[in-house]
Amino acid sequence: MSELRFTYYPGCSQSGSAEEYGDSSEAVCQALGIELTELPDWSCCGASSAHMTNDVLSVALPGRDLAAAKRLGQDVLVVCAACYSRMKISQERILADEELAREVEAAIGADPRFAGKVRHLLDVMVNDIGLATLKEEVLLPLEGLKAVPYYGCLLVRPPEVCFCDSVENPTDLDRFMEALGVEVMPWSFKTDCCGGSLSLSRTDVVEKLVNKLFTRAEEAGANCIVAACPMCVANLEMRQRPGKLSFKINHPMPVLYFTELLALAMTLPGARKWLESHIIDPMPLMVQAKLMSV
Amino acid sequence: MAEKEPAKKAAKKTAGKKPAAKKKPAAKKTAGKKPTAKKQAKKPVAKKAAPAAGPGEQPVGAVMVVGGGIGGVQASLDLVEMGYRVYLVDSSPSIGGVMGQLDKTFPTNDCSMCILSPKLVEVGSNKNIELYMLTDVVGLQGEPGHFEVTLRVRPRYVDLEKCTGCGICSEHCRVKVKDPYNADLSRTPLIRVPFPQAVPGAAFIDPTKCLYLLRGKCGDCAEECPAGAVDYEDKERTEKVEVGSIIVSTGYKPFDAKKRAEYGYGVYDNVVTSLEFERILAANGPTSGHVVRRSDGEPVKKLAFIQCVGSRDSTAGNTYCSSVCCMYATKQSVIAKEHAREVQPTIFFIDMRTYGKGFEEYYQNAKNEKGVRYVRCLASYAKELQPTRNILVGYTDPDGSTVEEEFDMVVLCVGITPDAAGLAGVLGVGLNDHGFIASDDFLSVKSSREGVYVCGALEGPKDIPDSVIQASASAGLASSRLGVCRCELTEHVEYPPEKDVSGEEPRVGAVICRCGTNIGGVVDVPAVVDYAKTLPNVAFADERLYACSQDAQEWIREIIREHDLNRVMVASCTPRTHQPLFRETVRSAGLNKYLFEMANIREHCSWVHMDIPDDATEKAKMLCKMGIEKAALLEPLEEGVSQVIHNAMVIGGGGAGMVAALQLADAGFKTYLVEREPELGGQMRHIYATVEGADVQAYLGELESRVKGHPDIDLMLSSDIEDVDGYIGKFHTRVRTPKGPRELDHGVVIVATGGAEYVPPPGEYGRGSDERVITQVELEKLLAEDPGSLEDVRDVVMIQCVGSRNDEHPYCSKICCGVAIKNALAIKELNPGAAVNVCYRDLRTYGFKEDYYLKARDLGVNFIRFEKEDPPRVDISFGDPRVRVADQNIRGEEVVLNPDLVVLSTGVISNPGARELGPKLKVPLTSDGFFLEAHVKLRPVDFATDGIFLAGLAHYPKTITESLTQAAAAAARAESILAKENVVTEGVVARVDPNVCSGCKACIELCSYEAIEFDAAKGVAVVNRSLCKGCGACAAACPSGANRLLGFKPGQIIAQIKAACGSL
Repeated sequence: MSELRFTYYPGCSQSGSAEEYGDSSEAVCQALGIELTELPDWSCCGASSAHMTNDVLSVALPGRDLAAAKRLGQDVLVVCAACYSRMKISQERILADEELAREVEAAIGADPRFAGKVRHLLDVMVNDIGLATLKEEVLLPLEGLKAVPYYGCLLVRPPEVCFCDSVENPTDLDRFMEALGVEVMPWSFKTDCCGGSLSLSRTDVVEKLVNKLFTRAEEAGANCIVAACPMCVANLEMRQRPGKLSFKINHPMPVLYFTELLALAMTLPGARKWLESHIIDPMPLMVQAKLMSV
Repeated sequence: MAEKEPAKKAAKKTAGKKPAAKKKPAAKKTAGKKPTAKKQAKKPVAKKAAPAAGPGEQPVGAVMVVGGGIGGVQASLDLVEMGYRVYLVDSSPSIGGVMGQLDKTFPTNDCSMCILSPKLVEVGSNKNIELYMLTDVVGLQGEPGHFEVTLRVRPRYVDLEKCTGCGICSEHCRVKVKDPYNADLSRTPLIRVPFPQAVPGAAFIDPTKCLYLLRGKCGDCAEECPAGAVDYEDKERTEKVEVGSIIVSTGYKPFDAKKRAEYGYGVYDNVVTSLEFERILAANGPTSGHVVRRSDGEPVKKLAFIQCVGSRDSTAGNTYCSSVCCMYATKQSVIAKEHAREVQPTIFFIDMRTYGKGFEEYYQNAKNEKGVRYVRCLASYAKELQPTRNILVGYTDPDGSTVEEEFDMVVLCVGITPDAAGLAGVLGVGLNDHGFIASDDFLSVKSSREGVYVCGALEGPKDIPDSVIQASASAGLASSRLGVCRCELTEHVEYPPEKDVSGEEPRVGAVICRCGTNIGGVVDVPAVVDYAKTLPNVAFADERLYACSQDAQEWIREIIREHDLNRVMVASCTPRTHQPLFRETVRSAGLNKYLFEMANIREHCSWVHMDIPDDATEKAKMLCKMGIEKAALLEPLEEGVSQVIHNAMVIGGGGAGMVAALQLADAGFKTYLVEREPELGGQMRHIYATVEGADVQAYLGELESRVKGHPDIDLMLSSDIEDVDGYIGKFHTRVRTPKGPRELDHGVVIVATGGAEYVPPPGEYGRGSDERVITQVELEKLLAEDPGSLEDVRDVVMIQCVGSRNDEHPYCSKICCGVAIKNALAIKELNPGAAVNVCYRDLRTYGFKEDYYLKARDLGVNFIRFEKEDPPRVDISFGDPRVRVADQNIRGEEVVLNPDLVVLSTGVISNPGARELGPKLKVPLTSDGFFLEAHVKLRPVDFATDGIFLAGLAHYPKTITESLTQAAAAAARAESILAKENVVTEGVVARVDPNVCSGCKACIELCSYEAIEFDAAKGVAVVNRSLCKGCGACAAACPSGANRLLGFKPGQIIAQIKAACGSL
């Protein structure tokens, strides 16, 4: 097995709304021999709020985590697309702009000039573990799942800092799923926006965008959407229709994390628990596809 | 000739059958110094091997043309006419370039291949053009007049001399690859003739996947080749060639549409590039011209074109404008609709740049009559929908709302990108900022290295006419230092004496062509041969796989000798392309070339009746019978030969006229230069700088002093053309000069009478009511001569399209956008704080002029778009100019401006004198009063009347550089006539029998070429055979039967009719 070691930055969502993402990520890493050391005393990356509020703050918040990572020395692994984006952009800016680096350093009282790599788990899966190895790990090929990959914005944009093979038509997640035996349906809305943090302030906008994604996914013949971002999944699961009760499900199409699918394919314990925790219940699909029993 | 024997024998023995010999192909002629082109075999060019000449010695009378697209082809043809040997080099297996892939050409909707192919054939059959195919230029040494070019010739693996292009090898090839001719939309065998009309028309092997070349397996093509032409042992070789000048014209490469990934090219099947769509439209393309989707072959209804893919694009593409896409998208829309009425084309564009001659009218017609929808916006993205696989295009409409619209297919109008770096490095010529070959400010065909000239899209994005103009211009400049060795290296064709056939019984030889499977696959050719043998007067009949192949010509000469034939009839394809070849063959066998007749059993028979082969065979028999019956009645005809007067007449002493006169005078021809005004310079006098920053007045001064001091230029100022008589080679002109009338004899005429500035009538945009309303010309003068007067200007409004693109002047004046940008930048430089507002309709800064538009926007020049129906209103209220304009860029909101200077961008109109001069020269004008060239696409500097040429604003509005370059082209075309001792005119001309003619003048009225005159003394019509084009209109109209078209006499035509219909 691989000799992969990372400083792990869990991010807030993975212990809250996207607990199943955090847990499944840690489980698959362990199963694949990826050694994770949680970043001590990590703090929020600032997500979308900080960089809409104060530019220095939006760099200083991840800067604090980068400073901690610098002390540990290892490359950093991130699973949330927003955390990944903030960490990468902040790192690039700190390393490129000494004046900003000094300002951040003064604000956080530590050296944020982390020169190691900040990686997303999907990047590590596709490019370090490799699809051939993943295929070997699959005990339960996920036949019967017809998925559309959903990258959203922050895995691919801005293209200068992101890992995906193309900004307009990335295929990393597609190839990952194919390795698990999932049938990947062609669709053109992989990188369309879900509305992100407008979820709370402009729910109407998010609902419109989310509805379009489901409609297009249905047209593509998919029976599930697979994502790698807790914000995207939250919006897709919770913002389907206007109305007071956003939890009313109109598109019964499950939205899943790529790590959950890998755990399922590797038959790791816990897969059922994570899947059951979704707002849009994936169990009927799993049963229908004979991937799980009732 | 001895080495041709085996090929010929093999072909004869095995016509239509497999060869007897089934042995492994062995190279008969090993690689080495073997001739590349067919014609080279005829007579080795001894002079080529002459030792390198040092400076000061006689230059080399040969020119190398690199790149065999339309530019290279035109330059080559011009050069051989001027008396030079040409080495035409192309990295492809055949010449033709991109133009050979196009379906139709704008703005005439001509079939591209139909107008190109005759030129390709002309190149292929010209003895003084030597083709180097699959060849790259790898080295250049020496200096102008004595260059030594090193060529690397890649192996073709097929012997050009033996290959007849029959296509049998392709049928047996086991590997198929994407066909570059069809823009990779179809597959084709590795061994093939690149496309049916290819020159040379021989096969080649694409070695990348050849089983034999890679692994020694297969070898089928060599075994099956009836001519034994396949040569797997062919090796790459290096050759050195000496030339006096070099012309490069290697064209461009299309922008890689994958770089604009938001449109999904390469991901979605129904998103195609414009070049691919051109092939989809083409009748010989992958879908036979049906406008269908790539995903499912279903007919396309909603069709979108997205403009500026890779052009005007600072993120993924190039910042310049590719100049041609607006027009080709419009053309493709119109043609797609012609192919299938249900197609609904939509064009997404930023600015509609239809600036060339006839373009604006074409665009308006497409928009208003043909149902093409235009949406002004840069489309944001294209996405594929499931399961329909329709394409969803996202865009912002002019109202500012975002729209998503579904289409069946999307065409990305990809731009022109440079492909010049490698060649420029080898040749040591400079590149411009965008990677194209850098060129001179005034003559755009001069590269940074003396003696190396450039034409076509290699120099910058441009369309076919502009490429053709540059091609002729580069040929003219390439000739400039080689005049002393004109005709030194060219072969003069010597024919055997003509046999007198008068009094002989007709002995017709009938040759029936299979044209590979084109005819042979439908028509029962042996049956036609047997039938022909039964006809009266037929002394011999046989078939050929390709009657046009080089070895077939030798065979025809042989049968003429062997069977003592005195007439030949070939039943094959169209005389339009192949009659000259066969006439040449017949003549070289000692027969008069008009003792040849052709029957078209391909276009008129096998192609249109492919589903009914039996009937097609019967029809082919009838067509042959008609040809044979007529052939028996053919008479030898004489061609007219007239001596060329080696003087030139240039009418118009502006920049274009001066450049043309200087070029011809420098080449040693006495040149009369006639200018109506008392001084030289024309419109150039009013221009101080080009938008690129070149000093126009300095250049003008240089031209003027050179013209005035040139011993071979006879300058007549304040002079007028009284009248012009004569014809090509022999014109006679009377000129009214201040010193009295002069009578001048000359061989050619160049019309460079220029244009005029549109003068707005008082009141138009406040003109005349306030001195602060001026024109761009007046502003430019102030900027140059009294810049201090503009220092305090704080607000300038420029108004575009004054006198252009309106009902009175429907055409675009082409230059005004560039002029406005130039002067706006000058004002900003003078006074950076000044506000400049440019009110425009479409900003037409085509090509590299886009750079200056970008710069103007960066400097804060404001651009306000208005509609033709709602132009800016200028009023002088309360003593100051005020401009109100509905700004379409902000949804038509009215903007009120209070400028202290209003500048009108007045258009270019035709010279009023053109309407007098046209009839004197017997040449036509357009409805706008500009002179009308012979063919808008391929003959942009010629008139239909031979010996008269055109340049500058007299042709159409254009920039100084374009005018002067066109002048160089016109001079080159003129030189190609002046370089000859005689001009030869057609034998097929009308003749009036003076004993029968009643003098009714009906024929004189009808003649489009002014070739018939009335002899008042005798009271009869007389045909001037030098002007006659042999159209036959007069002969058909003659009520008394006095007027006969030679070669088409009533007896000959009636014999054909009888052959087809029996005695009526």
